[in-house]
Amino acid sequence: MKLTKTLLAGATALALTGSASAEEYVITASADYSGPFADVMPDAMAGLNAMVDYWNAEVGEGLGVSVDLKTYDMRYDSAVVARTWPSILTSDEPIIHLGFGSPDLVTLMGRLPNDKVPMLLGTAMVGLVWKPDGWHFSIRPTYSHEFAGLFNHLQKQGDGPLRIAALSTQNQAGFVDQVNGVKALADQHPERFTVTSTQWADTAPVSLTSQIRSAMADDPDLLLVGGTTAQVIASAKAMDELGQRVPIVMSTHNGLSEVSKGLSLEQLEGFYSAFSFAAPEKGDLPIRDVFEEYKSDGDWGTITAQASAQAILALRVLENAIADVGPGDVTGQAMYDALLAHEYAEDDLLGALPTLEFDNTAPFPVGDIKATAQVVEDGEITTVQPDWFDVPQIDKW
Amino acid sequence: MRPTGIWFSSYAAEARILETRRARAWLGLLTAALVCLPFLTGPWLLGEMTNLFITMIAVCGLYVTVGMAGQINIAQSAFVGVGAFTAAKLSGLGAPIWAVIPAAALITGGVSVLFALPAARVKGFYLALTTLAAQVMFPIVILALPMSWLGGLVGLPVSPPSLFGIGLGTPSGLYFLGLAFAALAVWTTYNLPRSRVGRAFRAVHDNDSVAGVMGIPVTRIKIAAFFAGALYAGVAGAILAYLLQFVTVSSFTLFASVWYLGMLIVGGLHSPLGPILGVIFVTLVQEGLHSAGNAILQSGSGLGGGEVFAASSVVLGLCILAALIFEPRGLAHLWTQTMTAFRLWPFPRN
Repeated sequence: MKLTKTLLAGATALALTGSASAEEYVITASADYSGPFADVMPDAMAGLNAMVDYWNAEVGEGLGVSVDLKTYDMRYDSAVVARTWPSILTSDEPIIHLGFGSPDLVTLMGRLPNDKVPMLLGTAMVGLVWKPDGWHFSIRPTYSHEFAGLFNHLQKQGDGPLRIAALSTQNQAGFVDQVNGVKALADQHPERFTVTSTQWADTAPVSLTSQIRSAMADDPDLLLVGGTTAQVIASAKAMDELGQRVPIVMSTHNGLSEVSKGLSLEQLEGFYSAFSFAAPEKGDLPIRDVFEEYKSDGDWGTITAQASAQAILALRVLENAIADVGPGDVTGQAMYDALLAHEYAEDDLLGALPTLEFDNTAPFPVGDIKATAQVVEDGEITTVQPDWFDVPQIDKW
Repeated sequence: MRPTGIWFSSYAAEARILETRRARAWLGLLTAALVCLPFLTGPWLLGEMTNLFITMIAVCGLYVTVGMAGQINIAQSAFVGVGAFTAAKLSGLGAPIWAVIPAAALITGGVSVLFALPAARVKGFYLALTTLAAQVMFPIVILALPMSWLGGLVGLPVSPPSLFGIGLGTPSGLYFLGLAFAALAVWTTYNLPRSRVGRAFRAVHDNDSVAGVMGIPVTRIKIAAFFAGALYAGVAGAILAYLLQFVTVSSFTLFASVWYLGMLIVGGLHSPLGPILGVIFVTLVQEGLHSAGNAILQSGSGLGGGEVFAASSVVLGLCILAALIFEPRGLAHLWTQTMTAFRLWPFPRN
């Protein structure tokens, strides 16, 4: 009798444990611990981990679902991505992959529709892959859209068209595409924007004096340098040498926080960094509070803000997928469907991103695209304005 | 040196690469293990092995040019890139794999001849600089060509390969493709030094003035050495294109060329075993450290990826340094010494 009771109690406990156990899904992420972004990677991964920990504790538990984030060091190398991805598919069966940069993009974009796993990138998209029906999406529009948001804001403050000089490198497709997108903006809005000249330079130039002299000859209002940190530093030094100065506009990978490691903030006074996730120093930013509460390592900054935004969007997509198909039936297809079927409000994204919607026409947010920017004012990096910028319409280039 | 008890009753038997029955049995076992591997393991190991085979083919080519003929080449990655872009373009035009791979090899060989021409007049560091020019020009030319030709800035997609209706785009399909061509590359690398051309390569390597006096057409042989090495690079590039399924110029860097050369030096420049051991050693250390790093990262040890992978890069460098300090003539020499000692045991080698 005692044995029967013990067995019954054990069986009941087992059944209860079974019913209470959470459904676990794997989200995989590409990292670059041994390539060009190794120095910022710990902070980026800290952002992903903190968001997953937050979600598991505060959202997943209530839904009966937990997320296991598995990180793979892809070394920012297409060959590593190509040979690692099949094993990720087999061993992890991820419901979504968090990609990092062009190696993930070029290697996986052709495979994902067959593999039925969507990919969310944290880096900005490029117009070169602006094609329909992909399973690769960025949380950000193209670099050119992000620059256009800032240009739109600056043009409205002045008279006449904003005169933009561009400096880039022809060695990398994405950097040329940035310039092409801005040229498309100027072509489509000639009354508001003019590209005065484009200067081509090395990725890591020693001196840009002659290029900057040529650029300055057209009297631009600003200089767009969306390529590398070295180009921004060399451009700033060249302007000092020439005794001329216009604001430099950069992106995030070569942005103010990166360039300030090589130049003092006094030297960067008036320079901009344009992007489309919440600036890390923005006031009243819930995602920063969540990061600080749940982080196990890392410091809050631009790359952390980007990675956190990427992770929180993926997790909100998972919530919608659970609502659509149930907690036990989430697949890559369900995640893809949920990403396209729902709007993602800024509040739900903890202020990390503007309200986003996706469709199958483009690999980035569509509709009302927003952006933001940082500027150096009085020796400090600050947000240009508390609200998002509107991004003018740019047709595919 | 052969131990007592091994003798040959015909020239053919003595000329064999695998002289003893035991050596042939080991090769048979290795072949069986490699063929069975896809049925025993998952896609991760197959992916790593496929990459190892591709690298081995490219480094075997480098052995022919640098190790056998003594012509410095630091553009092997660019030649692999030429093969990859050729394969991508041809497969995009619907060419079957059995035509794509030989065509990629021949076109890469043809391109290499352009950069081999200076070898007729310069050698050593000067020749290294001309091959460096090939490496630098490769991305510039691809980017400058009209986008409809080779994809320009974007690159080219590559359809998964198939042979007679059998899909080879799976990890096991690509593994067998890589294995077959790596075996062919190793076989030719072992046999080339025994051929007339191979002996001419060696003569030019040792002393090109004397080789000329002996009647060897030195310029033609130097160009042939580049051409032969680039054939391997073209095959490696074509298989790599099928593995990546998308080729861009950023995959074929000077850094990769230096790695290829490093693998050859670690393995040994003067033996066909050198590229094999060099590639296996560096890949094993590199990927082993990386797998360990990933495992530590995912074990919840509390260590960050920054510390783990910085440490693994340092260990990789130390392993390569140790290999060169303890055996500057390469792992192939160490292997030969060890095997000789084993075969002569308990008698001393000398």
